[in-house]
Amino acid sequence: MKTTSLLLALTLLGTAGHALADRLDDIKKAGVLRVAAFDSNPPFGFLDAQTHQISGLDVEVAQAIAKKLQVKLELVPTNPANRIPLLVAGKADLVAANFTVTDERKKQVDFSLPYFASGQQFIARKGSLSKPEQLAGLRVGVDKGTTQEIYLREKYSKTTVVAYDDTPLAFTALRNGNVQAISQDGSKLAALLANAPDKAKYELAPFTLTREYQAIGLPKGEARLTKAVNDTLVELEKSGQARKIYDRWFGPKTKAPLPRDFKIGDAA
Amino acid sequence: MMLSLLHDNLDYLLWGNLTRGQPGGLLLTLGISLAAGVLATLGGLVGGIALCMGGPRLCRVLNTLVQILRAIPVLMLIFWCYFLLPILFGIDIPGVLTVIAALAVINAAYLSQSVKAGIDAIGDGQWRAAQALGMTRWQALRYIILPPALRAMLPSFVNQWITLLKDSSLAYVVGVAEFTFVATQINNREQVYPLQIFGLLAIGYLLLCSTLEWLGRRAGRMPA
Amino acid sequence: MTPPSWLGQGWLAPHYLGWLLQGAAMTAALALCVCLSATVLGVLLTAAQDSKQRWLQWPARLFCSLHRNTPLLVQVLLWYFGVGGLLPDQAMQWLNSPHQLALPLGLNLSWPSFEWLAAWIALSWYSACFISGELAAGLRTVGSGQRLAGRALGMSEWQIFRFIVLPQALRHIRQPLLGQYTAIIKNTSLTMAIGVAELSYTSRQVESETLLAFQAFAVATLLYLLLVIATQLAGSRRSAEEPGR
Repeated sequence: MKTTSLLLALTLLGTAGHALADRLDDIKKAGVLRVAAFDSNPPFGFLDAQTHQISGLDVEVAQAIAKKLQVKLELVPTNPANRIPLLVAGKADLVAANFTVTDERKKQVDFSLPYFASGQQFIARKGSLSKPEQLAGLRVGVDKGTTQEIYLREKYSKTTVVAYDDTPLAFTALRNGNVQAISQDGSKLAALLANAPDKAKYELAPFTLTREYQAIGLPKGEARLTKAVNDTLVELEKSGQARKIYDRWFGPKTKAPLPRDFKIGDAA
Repeated sequence: MMLSLLHDNLDYLLWGNLTRGQPGGLLLTLGISLAAGVLATLGGLVGGIALCMGGPRLCRVLNTLVQILRAIPVLMLIFWCYFLLPILFGIDIPGVLTVIAALAVINAAYLSQSVKAGIDAIGDGQWRAAQALGMTRWQALRYIILPPALRAMLPSFVNQWITLLKDSSLAYVVGVAEFTFVATQINNREQVYPLQIFGLLAIGYLLLCSTLEWLGRRAGRMPA
Repeated sequence: MTPPSWLGQGWLAPHYLGWLLQGAAMTAALALCVCLSATVLGVLLTAAQDSKQRWLQWPARLFCSLHRNTPLLVQVLLWYFGVGGLLPDQAMQWLNSPHQLALPLGLNLSWPSFEWLAAWIALSWYSACFISGELAAGLRTVGSGQRLAGRALGMSEWQIFRFIVLPQALRHIRQPLLGQYTAIIKNTSLTMAIGVAELSYTSRQVESETLLAFQAFAVATLLYLLLVIATQLAGSRRSAEEPGR
């Protein structure tokens, strides 16, 4: 009895994977686009203090896509580690959460054109970290499930990597002295530092380990949805909207200005 | 500092974005706990009675299930329900519902054992007396055994409800905007007040659970 | 053998299984330390609550209700992120730099990380309150006549507790106590939130590196089951050996 029902369940599993409807049609039919976005990582995605809504650069890109598809946008809060599971389990249609393109991830999800580029950097106490060689023997805080976590563990075996749920929590650990540095995308770190009440004590270490590209994550094999997203991104760049969005969060008048060195459509 | 922190975030901590139709914070914690609590209680009663009245094969299956559920951390179970069930079965259930389901199932497993123990504690004599009066086994259970057994079980039910309320905090791992999740969001934004924010969170749960404990104790003292 | 399509690409490579086993070892080690310290603390808490001295009774009761009525996750976060920030910089620096205690026979005992310490303290205090609850229930099974008899023999309160009440109570609470120990094993999973490299943490680590969520969590769940079953078997074996039971 038990074995038959188990077999039945397994057969069902096998078929469930094949019954793929076109996601774009589903989205249009539901009238809702569900996008996983960060809720604790300014300026990409964060909880606005006044409105208590998630906002940020990634969110504005997501809004543009929803507008293009003529559907309502629904944001699903995520931390770094939950991004792929959310997409694979069908809990979100897209991921717009500072999502770095990697070959390993491409096996599980598809990516749009990159719309952002940055590199892996570090925040440490002022004057304590100036070159990569110093990383040996340090305890470095990262976010669970990020490319930075994997890169450090593979390339810097003498560094102790401690993974937290989100970058601000890693920063708290740095503040408490549990780790001596934290590592993330430079752009994310610059913004985090700019928002820190005690920023005078810390600095962005003056070196970058990698060059990384961030894109929208999509479920595997959704060609029409991918095309719709790519078209939107290209249009954003052409209309100058992409620059406007960038400047709103990283422009000269912002807390953490960062020159724009990557345009949508540039070779990644 | 504490005052302005409270002033800016208290409404979000208490009921999330309720005005926009997205309940969260303490309110969602209460909602999740209440729904899961009711389901777990019903499940526990049914399971416990089945363990007492069912045949040996049913009991063996139920016992195995209960043992497995009791051996898995709640965190893992929430994870399974949230991310892996949709992959396995191709169905998508909203986050809040998966958390309610996970909490209900695991607490029902614990409660079914308390119910079984409570029924077992009523002496054999009662069963035999009921039989002598010409009652069926089910009638005996309903009119003779259950009333005193349930009263005796109340403390363990209250304890389990408190456990459930506390475990609802684990919904934070899958991004359900309950009390703990909302507090970590605020902590991540404010950055430098973890002690105050997590302290406030602890006080919130303390008030809820202590109230529940006190209510349980009062109900236990009430005459039958 | 290739896995079915819904499982993703391939099985876990052996070295990822190694990570998961390491995580399980960490879970077991942390749980063992917590079981020991929580039991000792639980006995002390019970003795304090059982004593006639008000100044011992009330703090112990307050301690227990504070810890029992707040989620463990919140306590873990509070210890690591909150209390960690209160300690002076020097103390924190010392706690976070490696220290070794040389033991005889050439063994070295290294000082645990702050994550581990915070997890150990939070779990021990939390579990001690539940253990003391079980102990108190066990104590109630020992009739007051026996205590009076102890007093008549001229024993002190502590002696009565230690030699008359505790041994009998312990026999009654073997099963509930075993339940608390399995709860401790499962509760160690919450310490992944503060970066303790236990089983849940390593399963997420494996998942993020291989993107094989199903496999990683299935192995982790299985390892938890094994740890819990092993504990229960060990516990019931011990009670079977107990004479007069």
